[in-house]
Amino acid sequence: MVRVLIVDDTAFMRKLLKNILFSAGFDIAGEAENGKQAVELYKQLKPDIVTMDIVMPEMNGIEALKEIKKIDPNAKVVMCTAVGQEQMMKMAIKLGAKGYIVKPFQAPKVIEELKKVARI
Amino acid sequence: MPETKLIAEVFDKDWVKVEVLIGEKSMTIGKETLDFRAISDLELTQHAKKECIRIKAGRDIFINFGEKQKSVFRYLAFNMKSDKFAVYFLSPAIRGGVLVSDSKWEKGYFSITESAVWFLSPEKQIRIPLSSLGSVSMDKRTVGEKQRLVLAITHMDEKEVVTSFILCPETTLELLQGYLKRILEQQKPKERLSELEEQILTMVYTGLDSASIESILGIKTDDLNKIYDKFVSLGIARIVKVRKEIELTPKGVAIVSESAKKLGGGRSG
Repeated sequence: MVRVLIVDDTAFMRKLLKNILFSAGFDIAGEAENGKQAVELYKQLKPDIVTMDIVMPEMNGIEALKEIKKIDPNAKVVMCTAVGQEQMMKMAIKLGAKGYIVKPFQAPKVIEELKKVARI
Repeated sequence: MPETKLIAEVFDKDWVKVEVLIGEKSMTIGKETLDFRAISDLELTQHAKKECIRIKAGRDIFINFGEKQKSVFRYLAFNMKSDKFAVYFLSPAIRGGVLVSDSKWEKGYFSITESAVWFLSPEKQIRIPLSSLGSVSMDKRTVGEKQRLVLAITHMDEKEVVTSFILCPETTLELLQGYLKRILEQQKPKERLSELEEQILTMVYTGLDSASIESILGIKTDDLNKIYDKFVSLGIARIVKVRKEIELTPKGVAIVSESAKKLGGGRSG
């Protein structure tokens, strides 16, 4: 089962993603509400995929992506963003993000994107 | 399109075969001549069990051109009464939250008719009813290795949010943004939604069912139903299914008891 770490500063968005992914057969390895927490949890949990919000307090998603890639260059991180953050997204892809989803999203599309990244 | 004679079907209580002559500025359907400038909108639709074009010209004309449908539709879309702006467009750029990887920038027109806006190019004639528009905003995108100001438009298409981008001179972008914002302002619900209501709306869009929404937000069915009723009254949602809640009668309980016995049959406890 593919284990996912969900990173988003809003509890609502985390719950939403958790529900979508759990229903699709993903295992929720953990949740983090900022980049710093995400890096720590990544070290501990070693998830197969991370869904990473970009705009977050403490440490944003781009910085967290960099740190995670330092720990594990093969980490599969899917960025989660809103329309209007193309530059951030491009930077994330350059830094090794494997995919991205744009809010508002629909469950089947999110599942499709994560399955693609997980190569299921 | 050079002057073309076609046999089509027009709906007049039933589908009737008719000769259509399509010219440069008008078309003749049977004995009636229709100036293209009199066409205020059109769409590909289904009517009386047939795929056809609905032409809005004072009244609705339903006409089926059979295998020539798409080419006639394209010709009419370019020639009907509309305000056309030469633009580059990328549509769809994002669908349901995921980038549409095979979509590319096209040279064409952003066209405005009475009840829709259109992306027009020789390959695409995308009609977006004004009622389907979601949002409009300026965005910076990389186009041909340059940072360009574009207009991002979202609309609903088959229950998905689709984002499209328009690139054209900035003065035109501002004009289009102003026009679309005015339309959106008119369509906004009169009442502001609470944070909880906005969350529920997002969850419905995401595709969650009522039971999941209740469980995630920790709210009761009756409270959720009240919020759904509000959405419906504001015109931002419609009812597609009425959920039933049941309790068992003694007969039903008896069946469950029997079933439990069967399940426990081979085991000691």
